Amino acid sequence: MSVDLSVALHGVRFSTPVLSASGTWGYGIEAEDLLPPGLLGGVVTKGLSLAPRPGNPPPRLCETAAGMLNSIGLENIGVEAFLRDKLPALREAGATVVVNFFGDSLEEYVACAGALDGHAGIAALELNISCPNVSKGGMRYGTEPAMAGALTGACRSVTRLPLWAKLTPNVTDVVSVGRACVEAGADALSLINTLSGIAIDVRTRRPRLGNLFGGLSGPAIKPVALRMVHQVYRAALGVPIVGIGGIVTGEDALEFMLAGADLVQVGTASFAEPTAMLRITREIEVLCEELGVARVTDLKGTLDLSPAP
Amino acid sequence: MKRALSMKQAQPRELVRASVDRNEDLGGGCRLLGLRLAPPASALAVEPGQFFMVRGPWGKHPMLPRAFSALWAEGDGLELLVKVVGHGTRLLGALERGASVSLLGPLGCPFPPSSTEALDLLIGGGSGIPPLCMQARRASKAGLGSQVEIVYGGRSGADLPLLARLEELGVAVFPCTEDGSLGSKGLVTDVLLERLAARGGAARVMACGPLGMLRAIGALSRERDIPCFLSLETGMACGVGLCRGCVVPRADGRGYLCTCTEGPVVDAREVRL
Repeated sequence: MSVDLSVALHGVRFSTPVLSASGTWGYGIEAEDLLPPGLLGGVVTKGLSLAPRPGNPPPRLCETAAGMLNSIGLENIGVEAFLRDKLPALREAGATVVVNFFGDSLEEYVACAGALDGHAGIAALELNISCPNVSKGGMRYGTEPAMAGALTGACRSVTRLPLWAKLTPNVTDVVSVGRACVEAGADALSLINTLSGIAIDVRTRRPRLGNLFGGLSGPAIKPVALRMVHQVYRAALGVPIVGIGGIVTGEDALEFMLAGADLVQVGTASFAEPTAMLRITREIEVLCEELGVARVTDLKGTLDLSPAP
Repeated sequence: MKRALSMKQAQPRELVRASVDRNEDLGGGCRLLGLRLAPPASALAVEPGQFFMVRGPWGKHPMLPRAFSALWAEGDGLELLVKVVGHGTRLLGALERGASVSLLGPLGCPFPPSSTEALDLLIGGGSGIPPLCMQARRASKAGLGSQVEIVYGGRSGADLPLLARLEELGVAVFPCTEDGSLGSKGLVTDVLLERLAARGGAARVMACGPLGMLRAIGALSRERDIPCFLSLETGMACGVGLCRGCVVPRADGRGYLCTCTEGPVVDAREVRL
């Protein structure tokens, strides 16, 4: 039996359900020799702003139990350099490209979305309203439903591209933020971004990150991510869900699909093993065969909540 | 003198498997890890200063591989110096013969090769010695042993685990310790100044070690207008430029330099440590 791994969402065909998570695979093309981006369901780029940004002071990384904290601070080359230096190579490599973007203000978000519209080779935009590592913009827009809705609506009006809203877990009610984004025109919801955290070195009595606060990722956050994906799925908001958070194996990916995800993104696992996304894709295929699932899309939301026998 | 570091090593990057061939206690919390590549990988072309991302056969914690500069590489063999400082290095240091590890590399920019045009003063602080040991061994093999001197320093004699090995390389070695328990008493910068005065003529400085040492050596080289190359150590996640986690500030104030792809060996004038 061959398994159909493809997923079609809002007119875009993803050859597999496995995408790179924003901020963990550069702009998708730099590690082409390790992993040709055309072999993935898609690549989600590092978050882009209108102008280049230097990011946060180091140290920017620290390992924690079954995961890591980062405070990169959205260092990026800016939209113009991306379109000029990266997008042509991604197009040539046959990659399905989702561009993650952000701004310091509503105006910058809108300008960014507008600047990314109308370029061949971009399959969708992912609106970053969830980065915990910057003082302005980022997560601030993703914690209040009204603000998230206003931002989504404003970006919606300047682009014809499918618009995904990437949600933060650092909220009381992720569904209310997701609903506001969908009502304002988001075509999909991706979740979760990192959980805000800190780490401390007791010998120096100093924080381990230069920015004090960082975002927690890796296997440690998977249960939280699954819970939030499932909450959003059960709210039946009527848009596809992209599940993110601590996926290391094909089995992890299937858990997200059962919980309600259409696609998944893999991040921290790629640092431990650069070809993890390909292995996970193969494992999904093998597991589907084992479970007698012909199409990966058949798994979505099939979590059995009936009383245990 | 122009720096010759910007050329990236054009080698395919892929994760290779290797097995532990040797795990020797060197004292001072340091282990010598000898690895042998598992087929189909057969040989690695490694330049002194290049590094590998190394991960052992454990589960999800620790998640990230650890970065190590090569101590020596020849054929299908690779040697690393592992100083046990935390959970990851403790696990690596405890690996038994035959244990399987994954390697990504060689990665990053190496030291410029030794030449007949200048004396290279190689300065290693404690567990920062491996890339300089490899640089000296290469120079010696190329018949340039007289063009290289090594200054090897630490707090005490226990911090100089590779001294015996360095003394077999056929290059002059000047050990020094802060407590005077081995070699001359003092800092590597004291010895560096002595050697510069003693040898005269054109010289270059190459160093790897603790941050304070690199700062002092960078400043001293700048004052005397001596070309200086530093191998930097920063926490890394990916090792290949994707995560932007391992950065250091650029000297010109224009953002950050990525240690894994633009380093680990950098011209001291390029960074603000």
